[in-house]
Amino acid sequence: MTAGLFLLLGGLIFLSGSALAAFWWAIKDGQLRNLQEAPLTIFDDDEPVGAPTDRFPSRK
Amino acid sequence: MKPHSLLSSINPATEPDTLAAHERVEIDASTRGPVLLFFGSAVFWLLVGSVLGLLSAWKMTHPGLLDSMGFLTFGRIRPAHLNVVIYGWASSAGIGTGLWLMARLCRVPLMHSKLLVSAAVFWNLGILVGVLGILAGDSRSIEWLEFPGYATPILFVAYACIGVWAVIMFRFRKPGHIYVSQWYLLAAFLWFPWMYATANIMLVWQPIQGSAQGAVNWWFAHNVLGLWFTPIGLASAYYMIPKVIGRPIHSYYLSILGFWSLALFYSWNGMHHLIGGPFPAWMISASVVASIMMFIPVVTVAINHHMTMSDHFDALKWSPTLRFTVFGAMAYTLVSLQGISMAIPSVNTLTHFTDYTVGHAHLGLYGFFSMMMFGAMYYIVPRLVGWEWPSATMIRWHFWLVATGVLLMVGSLTIGGILQGLALYDPTASFRSSLDYATPFRWLRGISGFLLLAGHLVFASLFVLMLLKTGRRREGPALFAAPAENRSEAAV
Repeated sequence: MTAGLFLLLGGLIFLSGSALAAFWWAIKDGQLRNLQEAPLTIFDDDEPVGAPTDRFPSRK
Repeated sequence: MKPHSLLSSINPATEPDTLAAHERVEIDASTRGPVLLFFGSAVFWLLVGSVLGLLSAWKMTHPGLLDSMGFLTFGRIRPAHLNVVIYGWASSAGIGTGLWLMARLCRVPLMHSKLLVSAAVFWNLGILVGVLGILAGDSRSIEWLEFPGYATPILFVAYACIGVWAVIMFRFRKPGHIYVSQWYLLAAFLWFPWMYATANIMLVWQPIQGSAQGAVNWWFAHNVLGLWFTPIGLASAYYMIPKVIGRPIHSYYLSILGFWSLALFYSWNGMHHLIGGPFPAWMISASVVASIMMFIPVVTVAINHHMTMSDHFDALKWSPTLRFTVFGAMAYTLVSLQGISMAIPSVNTLTHFTDYTVGHAHLGLYGFFSMMMFGAMYYIVPRLVGWEWPSATMIRWHFWLVATGVLLMVGSLTIGGILQGLALYDPTASFRSSLDYATPFRWLRGISGFLLLAGHLVFASLFVLMLLKTGRRREGPALFAAPAENRSEAAV
């Protein structure tokens, strides 16, 4: 039992720690700022805002 | 901006949109092998899972159906169905979508594709061994973890490879803001191996004793939905909806709030499956409270997707991706609010042990997640193989067959479940009468299974035709056609 228990406790501490670290890093890195620009990261010069990118295939 | 692009070195005057298109095409091409491998196996397991599901559905109304052989009995077919659709179909489709999204969002070509190809091989091998094990009678009888002990390590190897890969990709991403989908994907790729390993250690390797096994079981089973399928499905929706209609999401603030509140509350939810069970009251109460708190991530996502879509609902006519994705997003809101209500003990008293729960599970895994995955695959596959989907008519058939099928299934199980629950709750009614109420609705559910299977056959044929490149070559690297043209030829 003990081996499993230590493995689980280790995993628990590691994972909770990494979640906290990720959150802390996100704040420090400015990931939670500039929320107007952030949603634009998936668009680029070729597929800009305003350009739909999917449709049913044309017949023929 | 992009100093290392080959095109800009050859001709510094290359237009930025051409550069962007080439970069994107290069990234898409780099994901082709692993993503198509995962998608292909997903489609295969989807067909296997549908047949197994259909068979177990009809066994509920015809108990003697095909039970001459041990491996065809309900006790083996039903867990085989569950595990095939969870690990074979949904997880494989989710991993494929996740790999593609990770590469696009990190803005770098996919690295270490051999690692992913071996992960895909191990993953499929694990599922094959697991399903054969269940059919041979080696099921572990722990819901969602029925795969026998000799199959799970194979799956875990596959899983660990993908988790390591996700960290490497993230480490080598291009600088810039981390889009919300990427938060969801990274979290999912790290959460799942942890959950899977923990549940296997505590239930198989060194099993804990007594009713605590139930707690571990439902902690795992519920987290598979909430911390594995939900993040992948939402990552896909947060990418596909804005990308297809060409409009950034309504509120980035809400999307981030939704992610972190999901991370905070979801893992507490599992114990609401054990309301009324032999557990310390605080465990159940904490879980009920956390389930109610899920209102925050659910409503933020619902508001965000709806506001992004508003004024653009006509796009549902011309985009297959959007049609499936928006169906999935609506089902997500519905199934989450339904789930929250089912965590309230007085409601749970009625719905527990009835078909209502089965309907809820299918609304979540099919109405939400599977539809989301179909939508993602309609977007991704043409960009990988460089061909258009061969037939718009077949896509429409696929959509209407599965949409009708899942609504019929969930509707009939919900109504039947409520009647069944009321009868079970009535001390003067016999147990048998509760089944009599459920039976006609189980017939309807069985019929809905045929609709779903037919839809899946249409989709599988489309997928194979796509791999055989029978459609038309895609024109240009980016768009299928101008949106104005789309609108004029739109037909539902």
